[in-house]
Amino acid sequence: MSTSRLITAATAMLATAVLAVGCGSTSPHSRGSAAPVSMTAASLNTSVATAGGTWATVVMGGAASQYNNFWQLFSRPAGSSTWMLATPPGTADNGGLVVAGGSQFLVTAFRPSQDLTYTPLIQTGDGGQAWSALSPLDAPLASTPDALATPSASGTMMALLTDGTAEQTAGGSASWKTLATPQTIAATTAGRSCGLSAFTAAGYTPSGVPLLAGPCSKPGTAGIFASIGGTWQQAGPQIPAAFADQDVAVLRLTRVGGQLVTLLAAGSGHDVSLLAGWSADNGGHWTLSPALPLRAATMDSASFGNAGAVAVMAGGRADVVSGSGTQWQALPALPPGTATLAPVASGEPEALAVAAATLTVWQLVPGASDWTKAQVIHVPIQYGSSG
Amino acid sequence: MPGMNSGINISDPTVVAAFKAALLHQGLIALLIFFMVGLAWLGLRAWLPAASGDAVTVSRPAEPAWRQVLRIGFGIVWLLDGILQAQPKMAIGLPSQVIEPTAASSPHWVQTVVNWAGTAWSFHPMQAGAAAVWIQVGIGIWLLVAACGPLSQLAGLVSVGWGLVVWVFGESFGGIFAPGLTWLFGAPGAALVYAVAGALIALPARAWQDRRLGRTVLGGLGLFLLGMAVLQAWPGRGFWQGTAHGQPGTLAGMTSAMAPTPQPHMLSAWITAFTNFDEAHGFAVNLFAVAALAVAGAVFLSGRRRLIGPVLAGFVVLSVADWVLVEDFGFFGGLGTDPNSMLPFALLAVGGYLALASAPAPDQAAAVEPAVTARAEASWRDRIRVAATPRTLASTGIGSVAAIGAIGVILLGAAPMAAAQANPVADTILAQAIDGDSAPLNYQASDFSLTDQNGRAVTLASLRGKVVLLGFLDPVCTSDCPLMGQEFRQAGQLLAADTSHVELVAVNYNPLDTQVGYLQAFDRQEGLNTIRNWLYLTGTSTQLQQVWHAYGLPVEILPAGSMIGHGDYAFVIDQNGHVRQELNFDPGPGTQATKSSFAAELTDAARQLLGRS
Repeated sequence: MSTSRLITAATAMLATAVLAVGCGSTSPHSRGSAAPVSMTAASLNTSVATAGGTWATVVMGGAASQYNNFWQLFSRPAGSSTWMLATPPGTADNGGLVVAGGSQFLVTAFRPSQDLTYTPLIQTGDGGQAWSALSPLDAPLASTPDALATPSASGTMMALLTDGTAEQTAGGSASWKTLATPQTIAATTAGRSCGLSAFTAAGYTPSGVPLLAGPCSKPGTAGIFASIGGTWQQAGPQIPAAFADQDVAVLRLTRVGGQLVTLLAAGSGHDVSLLAGWSADNGGHWTLSPALPLRAATMDSASFGNAGAVAVMAGGRADVVSGSGTQWQALPALPPGTATLAPVASGEPEALAVAAATLTVWQLVPGASDWTKAQVIHVPIQYGSSG
Repeated sequence: MPGMNSGINISDPTVVAAFKAALLHQGLIALLIFFMVGLAWLGLRAWLPAASGDAVTVSRPAEPAWRQVLRIGFGIVWLLDGILQAQPKMAIGLPSQVIEPTAASSPHWVQTVVNWAGTAWSFHPMQAGAAAVWIQVGIGIWLLVAACGPLSQLAGLVSVGWGLVVWVFGESFGGIFAPGLTWLFGAPGAALVYAVAGALIALPARAWQDRRLGRTVLGGLGLFLLGMAVLQAWPGRGFWQGTAHGQPGTLAGMTSAMAPTPQPHMLSAWITAFTNFDEAHGFAVNLFAVAALAVAGAVFLSGRRRLIGPVLAGFVVLSVADWVLVEDFGFFGGLGTDPNSMLPFALLAVGGYLALASAPAPDQAAAVEPAVTARAEASWRDRIRVAATPRTLASTGIGSVAAIGAIGVILLGAAPMAAAQANPVADTILAQAIDGDSAPLNYQASDFSLTDQNGRAVTLASLRGKVVLLGFLDPVCTSDCPLMGQEFRQAGQLLAADTSHVELVAVNYNPLDTQVGYLQAFDRQEGLNTIRNWLYLTGTSTQLQQVWHAYGLPVEILPAGSMIGHGDYAFVIDQNGHVRQELNFDPGPGTQATKSSFAAELTDAARQLLGRS
C-alpha cells in the first residue's frame, strides 16, 4: 500500500469511525416559501391549429413530485368533431410535450425529465396514428410552448434551449447548430433598440424565415426578430402609444395558416394587458387587438385556432379573439379542471378539462350561456412507470 | 446531502444478516484475542519468575475517587454505546437516519464535512458498522480495566480522539452551529463530554491531587451552564411558549417528536405527559429550566464546597429528569446510539466535585506533590528501561493484560475499516441487497450482429477472447437506464487497465428510438463516450427484437406518455462466449453508494473471469 493510500486509510478510518453516538439536538425545520411566479409565463398546456387539424397538449395524471404527471397529446383531425388520444409512444413525457406543426406533419419534442438531459423528437404525418423518431436534440429544450418550430414544408427545425440558446438543424441526420443567443441579437442594430434579454418563442414565417422573440428591456418595443439574409432585423409590431412607456414581452409566437400570430404582454406588476397580433406578410405589418387587462391574474394558458383565433385563460376567466379586426369576447365561467382552450374550426372554442386520467371536452354552443359536455376520454396512464 | 444515504432499506435482510455475521465472526476473533493475550501472560508467569528485588519497583499513587468515577462511568457508557452500535439497523441506518437528520439544520459547511464521513460509511456499511462496535467496546473495556499507569492515561487520550470524531461526524458538532440549541436537548453533544472526561483521565498522576483541578472542572461546567441559561432565556427562540399559533412551542415540539419512538408504553406516556404539561405551562417550565441552569452554573463557578454539595445533588436530579422526560433516554428505536448527554454531564459534575472535595489542602498538596512527581518522573524512565524484560511482563497485572486485549479489539474494528475506506468503490453487498446474487451459469451466449454508436458493424462473436459485460439500455429512458449507464461507466473506469481484455457492451432496449444519434446522445449524457472499450449497439427494430428474444428479455410499448416497459439486466460473458452470470441489474435507489456497488459487482465479475481476483 502506498504512503498516500495509507494516509487516506488512516484519515478515513478516523472519520468513518464516524460512528457512533449520534444524538445532537434537533431543531424545528425552517419553512421555505414558494418563489413568485411570473403572471405572464406561457404554460405548456395549450392547443394549436394546423392544416391537418387541432392539437392540444395537457398535463394529466398525478403528482409531478412522484413523476406521475404525464403529458398527453390530443388531436382533433380537420373535418372531425371528436378528439382522440395521440400521445407519441416510447419516451416518458413527464417533462412536458412541445409540438410544432408543418403543413403535413407534426413534430413533438419530449422535454427531458429525471436523469434524461437531451430532447427526443418524434414526428407523425398521419394525425398521430403512426410516429417515427427523428434525430434527437442533444440538449434540454426550454419550457415554453413555442420552444420548437418548423417551417411549413422542409425538415428544418429550430429549438430554444434551457441555456437560452437558439439552435437550428437542416433535418434528417444533420446536426444542430447554434443559430443565435439573446446576446448576439442584442448586439445587432435591431437588437439594441430592444434590449433583448432572453428568448421566449421561436418560429418561422410562412415563407420560411426564422423568427426569434423575447422580452425587451426598452419600453414600448416588441422583441420579434427575423433572420433575413443572415442579418437579424426587427419584425415585431408597433406598440400602441398607450403602452409606449410599458415593458413588452412576447409570450407566444406561431404560424397559423398563412399568417403569423403573436400574443404580447404589456405592462408590469399587477397592471399587465394582453395584446394579440396578426401579420399576413411575414412580419412586415401587424394588426393588434384591443388590450385585454389581466387584472393581476396569472395567465394559465394561451391557444391558437384557425383563422388566427387566440384564446386566453387567466385567473379563472377566459377570453377569445377570433382574428384580426375583432374584439376580445369573454367566455362563460370555465368548467372545473379546464387545462386549455381549443379554438376549433367551427368557431367557438372548446374547453379541455382534466381530472386525473380523464379528459372532458366541453363545447360552447353558439348563443348558449354555458358549456356543454361533448366528449369524455379515459387515458390509460401507467402510474408509477416513471418513478 | 448527496452520497450519505445509500437508499437501502435500513432493515434490509441481506444487509442485516451480513452485519450480524460480521459481528459474530469478529466477536469470536475478539474473544480469541483476549484468550491469546491471557495465555501469553499466564505462560510468561509460569516460565519466568516475577520481577522482584533487583528490578526497579514502580510505585504508583492510588487512583483518586474522582478519576475512578470518570473512568468507570465513561467506560460503561462507551461499552453501552458499542453494544448499541451492534443493533441490526445501524449498518445502513446510521448515516441516513441519524447523522443526516442531525446535520440537516446545520450550515452548509457542517453538512459538507459530515457528508464526507457519511458517504464513506454508506460505501462500506459492514466494515464501518462493525468498526463502530469494536472501537467503542474496546475503549469501554480499556477504561474499565486499566486503572492507572500509562495504559490508563492512553485510554483517556483514545477516548478524547474517538469522542471528537463522533462529535464532529456523528453529532455534527453537537448541533452547536444549528438553530434551536439548548442544554435540555443535549447541547453541546454527548461525545464532547466524553472527550472532556477522556482528557481528565489522561492527566498525569501529579495532577490528580491538585485541588485546582476540581475548581477548573466545576468552573468550566458552571460557565457553560450559565451560558446555556442565557440561551434558554433568550426571547424569540420559542422556549417561553408552550404553544404558538396552535402548534407546540420549541420544547414541546421537540419532546412530542420523541414520543412516537418505539419504546415501552410507560416511557412514551411520560414523554407525552411532559409535553402536555409544557404546552400548558411553557413559561413556568422554561423559567424553572433557566433558574436551575443559572443557579447550578453560578454555584459551580463559585467553587464553594458547602454550596456545591446540595446543588450538585439537584443538578444530578435535574439531569436524570431531563434524560427521562426530554431526551427520552436516547437509545430506543433501533437506532439509538448512546444514552445522550445527561448522564455524561452528571458524571462530569460528580467527578469535578470529588476532585474538589477529596484533594488535600494547598499546603498539604505542596508537601505531597514532590514525592508524587518524583515517583511519576522516575517511573516513565524506569518503565521504559524495564518494560521489555520478560520478568516485567510476567509481573504485569491482569488489568494491563486485559487493556492490551482491549486495544486488540479496537484494532480489530479499525483495521478492516481503514482498509475498506482506502477503497473508493462501494461494497457489493449493496447491489446484492437490491437484486440478490447470480447463480453460476455456463451456456453459450446468443450471437448478434448490430451497429455500434459510430456506425460500425459489431458481432458478439467478434468479441471472442474478451470478457463481455453485456447490458440492455433504452437511450431515452429517464430513470433506471441512465443509472445503469453510470454504473457501466464506473466499471469501465475501474477496469481501465484491462481495456484490451474486457468489452463493455449495451444493446439498445427501445424499438422506436433506434437511430445512432440516440446512442451518441446517451453516451454523452452519461460520460460513456470517454470509455475506450464501450460499445452501444443498435439495429432495426426487428434486429433488436431478435436479440431481446434470444436473451429472454421482454419489451412492452406502454401508452399515454410512459417509457418503454422493460427489465434491467446484465450478462457476464466469458472469453469463450459463454454466459457465466445473469445479473438482475435494477439499480434501486441510484445513490452514489449503490451505483458504485453495482460497478463493483460488474468489475468483480470481469476480474474473476480474468483470474485477477
